[in-house]
Amino acid sequence: MPKSVVGTAVMYFRRFYLNNSVMEFHPRIIMLTCAYLSCKVDEFNVSSSQFVANLVHESPAGQELVAEQILEYELLLIQQLNFHLVVHNPYRPMEGLLIDLKTRYPTLENPESLRKNVDDFLTQASLTDIGLLFTPSQIALTAILNSASRAGLNMESYITECLGLKQDKETLSKLYDSMRRMKIITKKYELPKPEVVNACKQKLERIHAEGLRLVLSRKRLIFPDDSR
Amino acid sequence: MDDQGCPRCKTTKYRNPSLKLMVNVCGHTLCENCVEMLFVRGSGNCVQCDTPLRKSNFRVQLFEDPAVDKEVEIRKKVLKIYNKRDFDFPNLREYNDYLEQIEDIVFNLTHNIDVENTKLRMEQYQKENRDVIQRNKAKLTREQEELEELLLLEQQGNEQRRLDVLQEEQRQLQAKRKNKQALLDELEQSQIPATILLAKHKARSAQLETEIEQQKQSVKPTSLFSTGIQQSQTVSLVPIPRIEEVLYQYTLLKVDTYGPPAPDLGQLGRLGYLNHVRAALPQDTAGGYTTAMACHRAMQDAFSGLFSL
Repeated sequence: MPKSVVGTAVMYFRRFYLNNSVMEFHPRIIMLTCAYLSCKVDEFNVSSSQFVANLVHESPAGQELVAEQILEYELLLIQQLNFHLVVHNPYRPMEGLLIDLKTRYPTLENPESLRKNVDDFLTQASLTDIGLLFTPSQIALTAILNSASRAGLNMESYITECLGLKQDKETLSKLYDSMRRMKIITKKYELPKPEVVNACKQKLERIHAEGLRLVLSRKRLIFPDDSR
Repeated sequence: MDDQGCPRCKTTKYRNPSLKLMVNVCGHTLCENCVEMLFVRGSGNCVQCDTPLRKSNFRVQLFEDPAVDKEVEIRKKVLKIYNKRDFDFPNLREYNDYLEQIEDIVFNLTHNIDVENTKLRMEQYQKENRDVIQRNKAKLTREQEELEELLLLEQQGNEQRRLDVLQEEQRQLQAKRKNKQALLDELEQSQIPATILLAKHKARSAQLETEIEQQKQSVKPTSLFSTGIQQSQTVSLVPIPRIEEVLYQYTLLKVDTYGPPAPDLGQLGRLGYLNHVRAALPQDTAGGYTTAMACHRAMQDAFSGLFSL
């Protein structure tokens, strides 16, 4: 699955839960719906039966149930995203910056060596919120500068010269500031421990089972004459 | 027309769509024949629910669902008692509460919930508000009378117009007939040759026709043109003063990308960007794709938004 599809799915997931509560919509179903939708949007089409066939944890009956749920939630997801389905991921700006480096900045010998670190940084970044806070080109630039500094190469001259910022001190300082913030956010983020995850999962299951029961009993009250 | 049959004779409804269904107080349907049959034998019980019935309680069904008919009947009766209007209440909230009360009562009676209590409530309300009910009844009847008077007037006006038109037509027919008769008489009696007579006759009948046409199209003398201007108003013929406007100049659209300027599509090859982009296969170029396009897009994405915040 191309990286952009994954990136899009993650963005959808984040944007959805900005406006809706985890208690109302179980994250597992929403996650599957996001993945399905982003496959469609990013032209990596997977039919729904193929999609659920890849869920190896479920029995075939469970897979069909999941397929139905995905189709139910898809329209809701699109609505909650305010119909903004195009997500600008940082992968293309990263490619563009690498091309620019190769063309205009020969001091840096082998930009290809940076690629792996850049990819790692971007994956780590997608786990955090910075996709919602900074523009994709800024994220890509931070990724490249970070991996360059880790390899010990100095790229300040690239920023000042090639990006034409020699005179514009204010923009330059702002750029450095945002890059610093991004670095801090990505470094500080660590994956939650399994115990915490399990505890959260159990709580969610309980709440969702209760919610389902409430909805069913309410439906029964509204139509008391159904026996007629 | 109706997909439910009469519960007793079952067959007759399908064969005879003009047969009407009657509904009684308990909400069950019977076709006309069965109603008569039931009361001929003297027994007055409903087929489905065995409530004792009177023949007068059967009404012709207006709605397909008998439950709706039953509710309509109950509503009529309730509204005869609960006939307050919206100006009887000091504010909207109380009027809505009153309406909700009525709905509750109708619902209870229709679905046979708590019938005795509801009836008690109704009687109590009736006793309390007897004079208000009377007043409102009187008002209602008065309003209905006024409406009926208006309808009568309208009908009379229509009748009058129709009679007028008929009379006109008769007069015209008579005139035509007289004309023909006159021609025949002249042909018989006068000495002038026939052709001249025929010509004269044709001229006269043409004249008659035009007169009839004019009468038909006689427009009532109006004082207004169709645009609303009075007919006697004089229009000034002074030319309207010209207003000079500034001509529209086309300015090229400027898009702010909040970042360093990206290289132009045409210059990418010259500047050496294309060396670092994967070359386009012959299959790709067939569709009009060039490597410059992908490169240009990547560069634009990389540079736009870099300086924002």
